[in-house]
Amino acid sequence: MNNIVIGQYIPGSSFLYKMDPRSKILALILLMVTTFVLTDIIQILVLLSVLLVILKLGGIPIGRIVKGLRPIIVLLFFTFTFQVLFIKTGRIILDETLHYSFYTILLAVGVVLFWMITKRFIKFKISYFLMMIVGILSIFMYYPIGDPFAQGQLVIYTGGLQGAFFIMVRLIIIVTLSTILTLTTKPTDLTLGLEQLLKPLSIIKVSAEEIALIISIALRYIPTLLDEANKIMLAQASRGVDFKEGKLKDKVVQIISLLVPMFIISFKRSDELANAMEARNFVPGNRRTRLHILTWQTIDTITIIITAITIPVAILLRVMLG
Amino acid sequence: MAIKFTEVSYQYSSPDGSLFDALKNINLDIAKTGEFIALIGETGSGKSTLVQHMNALMKPSSGQVEIYGIKINHSKSKKQKLTPLRQKVGLVFQFPEYQLFEETVMRDIMFGPRNFNISKEEAKQRARKAIIQVGLDESYLERSPFNLSGGEKKRVSIAGILAMEPDILVLDEPTSGLDPKGRDALIDLFTLIHNTYHKTIIIITHDMNIVHQVASRVLVMREGELVFDGTSEALFNNESLNKWNLEEPDLIKMTKQLEQRYSISMRPFPKNIDQLFHHIKDVI
Amino acid sequence: MITVEHVSFDYHSQPDVLKDVSFTIDKGRWVSILGHNGSGKSTLAKLIVGLLKAKEGSITVDGIVLNEETVYQVRKKVGIVFQNPDNQFVGVTVEDDIAFGMENLCFTREEITKRIDKYAKQVGMEDYLSKEPHQLSGGQKQRVAIAGILAMDTDIIIFDEATSMLDPIGRDEILAFMQQLKHQGKTIITITHDMKEAVLSDEIIDLKEGQLLTHDKTKKVLQDKVTLNKSNLELLPSLKLYHKIKEAGIVNEELRDYLWQLSLQK
Ligand SMILES: Nc1ncnc2c1ncn2[C@@H]1O[C@H](COP(=O)(O)OP(=O)(O)O)[C@@H](O)[C@H]1O
Ligand SMILES: Nc1ncnc2c1ncn2[C@@H]1O[C@H](COP(=O)(O)OP(=O)(O)O)[C@@H](O)[C@H]1O
Ligand SMILES: [Mg+2]
Ligand SMILES: [Mg+2]
Repeated sequence: MNNIVIGQYIPGSSFLYKMDPRSKILALILLMVTTFVLTDIIQILVLLSVLLVILKLGGIPIGRIVKGLRPIIVLLFFTFTFQVLFIKTGRIILDETLHYSFYTILLAVGVVLFWMITKRFIKFKISYFLMMIVGILSIFMYYPIGDPFAQGQLVIYTGGLQGAFFIMVRLIIIVTLSTILTLTTKPTDLTLGLEQLLKPLSIIKVSAEEIALIISIALRYIPTLLDEANKIMLAQASRGVDFKEGKLKDKVVQIISLLVPMFIISFKRSDELANAMEARNFVPGNRRTRLHILTWQTIDTITIIITAITIPVAILLRVMLG
Repeated sequence: MAIKFTEVSYQYSSPDGSLFDALKNINLDIAKTGEFIALIGETGSGKSTLVQHMNALMKPSSGQVEIYGIKINHSKSKKQKLTPLRQKVGLVFQFPEYQLFEETVMRDIMFGPRNFNISKEEAKQRARKAIIQVGLDESYLERSPFNLSGGEKKRVSIAGILAMEPDILVLDEPTSGLDPKGRDALIDLFTLIHNTYHKTIIIITHDMNIVHQVASRVLVMREGELVFDGTSEALFNNESLNKWNLEEPDLIKMTKQLEQRYSISMRPFPKNIDQLFHHIKDVI
Repeated sequence: MITVEHVSFDYHSQPDVLKDVSFTIDKGRWVSILGHNGSGKSTLAKLIVGLLKAKEGSITVDGIVLNEETVYQVRKKVGIVFQNPDNQFVGVTVEDDIAFGMENLCFTREEITKRIDKYAKQVGMEDYLSKEPHQLSGGQKQRVAIAGILAMDTDIIIFDEATSMLDPIGRDEILAFMQQLKHQGKTIITITHDMKEAVLSDEIIDLKEGQLLTHDKTKKVLQDKVTLNKSNLELLPSLKLYHKIKEAGIVNEELRDYLWQLSLQK
């Protein structure tokens, strides 16, 4: 209860921490644009390596970035497969017939079983998964034993491979960028930065301040809510609910027994919170001064200039290289 | 013994990997019947954590809890069926809002028994019995649990546990937030249950007057350790009371003040004002 | 000074929650409001800070008649500490929470920082400024709430069962602050079930089912057995013994005085 971390902020003191959250958010957006403008493999790899250098200088362990990538690995895998299989431009680099016979399928099933049994002892789970996929494909391609009852064609074009690679690198860059932002910026500063950047929206009657206030209250109550959910679960478990077991019908009741108290408590809480805020002179929409303000430094200006320049440079490169 | 703690420790772990000792080497025996135990100690001393071990909601990080012959320790496999223990040892949480969720009080009280595969008819029967036990009448059964006052919600949540017919009843801060009348009524209720059904009752409280009034045995927690286990009389004579940040019950505090002022002795401590009055009448 | 005149209120349902309540609280006084759960104490507090609007009657705070226009002026004068420590902590950190009210009042940043330091120190939370609420105990959160109200410089502070969710240590800390604030000349209203809190106050207001049962000096209320029996106050043993001895006709001035003194201590 005492130690739930919100966001991923880890304390530090490198230049990344000293920067204004506004410039960090802006730089993130600018670099994302650049990433999508670039179409040359070498150039995008250069961008990635520059980012890695910044990471190193900023004192952020690469391990944290890899952690940040973990949730999107499935996504990466599917886009990769999709790109490789369905984009048919460029040269053909692989054109093999797949033989589906009783024996090859049996072998493939064997490989899958072997993978399932052994995977828990292997440390590099993802590489191991890829190895299994490659293994299965090679069985179908290179061991045409038995009478095939069906055949398929696996054709891979350079275009497909390139596209897949690009999407991957872009995703990695985006995740890296946003991980840098969330690792080095306190949630409070992040909301404040967001608020300032959204200020222009007041023209279309969207109050940046209110959005920011909502976000910061949400941040403040996440640990409380988690703690409460845990307690409600224990309270219902005391009445014999076994959250690990039960038929579908029981499961529904179990979830209701959790959600109804959560909902009712939250409703009461928001009512009381609103009272407390109003009693302390909060009036929605009124001007407020702020304890925290953001300070824009030279480094922020430089960052924005450099990141902004990358866009025209990227466009230029793209045009020049055709 | 119904519940036996042997060298039980429990650590909460935080995401950054550090551990916090919430229970340290607890040894404790609790009998099946006849005990009225008060569990006291500062906020954060581990009281709630301790009672959640008593019905196997939590498993010790080290050491062993034995509940009705079933041994629970860290190494035991996950397959162990623990839910039946929760029927034997009924635990009422501090806030009734944590458990009330059904449309009617009747259905809410039936929820516990139904989870233990009691038939619908039997569960209904039990709900009717439980609502009377907690001092409300049957008309409450058809009401929504959300339109009740704080004290009534509390009673319904207790009825929901009583309907499971546990041997031992554990209550986490049942009287906090209630007015004096509501509090006294609840304490009378616990005493009644204790006397009529001889169930062992354990209550967590900060109110030393309650401890003095009803507890036959007192457990004091301090920073995860069980520092006292004995009668209330022994506790209030204990030198360490102050050190443990515990206050004396009002009656005892005054008794001691009078004892000192008039150089008299009034032991055992009077349980109520009438007893005290008789003592003091003779002196003056 | 607070004047409540013939105030009635309902929540658009059933009977009135407050029925024709009138009383006056003078500046610098400490007043306890007692009564069962549901007797309308919190409703009364919310009416005074304008979170609810009276159905009938009027409320005047320091000469300002409370209405829709003046409500913001009134809230600058009256602060309120609620029961649940968790549901009134608005800031992400202690310092943000203390600042919240001042930010709303558009204090300058320098002023805000200065006051955060001053009042965090007064409530003993100066070492916790960057802590988040889930790292604090209930008593600490209530202290932060008090600092936030002191920082807004309100003359009147209402404590709505602010100690009822705390353990005895937390409660005693808050009681100590109340005494301190009283010395600073603040007007204090404590809503409580705890006689130890009530005996510290100058006056007692006793509500029963939305009606004002008693309003008198604390000492007078405690002296008067008839009033006490009517009310729902829970008497401390010393006071019980005091009245028992009085009733029994035992004449022992010395013991009676002693018990009386005990009854007025916390
Ligand atoms: N889910 C949790 N995660 C981490 N720490 C916890 C959790 N629950 C309780 N604690 C900590 O364990 C200690 C004991 O808590 P608890 O048993 O609730 O105490 P008590 O009931 O005596 O107030 C406290 O310091 C508390 O902060
Ligand atoms: N928001 C609300 N809506 C409807 N009824 C309410 C609401 N708040 C309180 N009440 C009712 O008004 C009465 C007085 O409540 P309250 O002022 O909170 O009492 P107290 O603070 O003395 O316990 C109670 O009967 C309660 O049920
Ligand atoms: Mg607890
Ligand atoms: Mg109230």
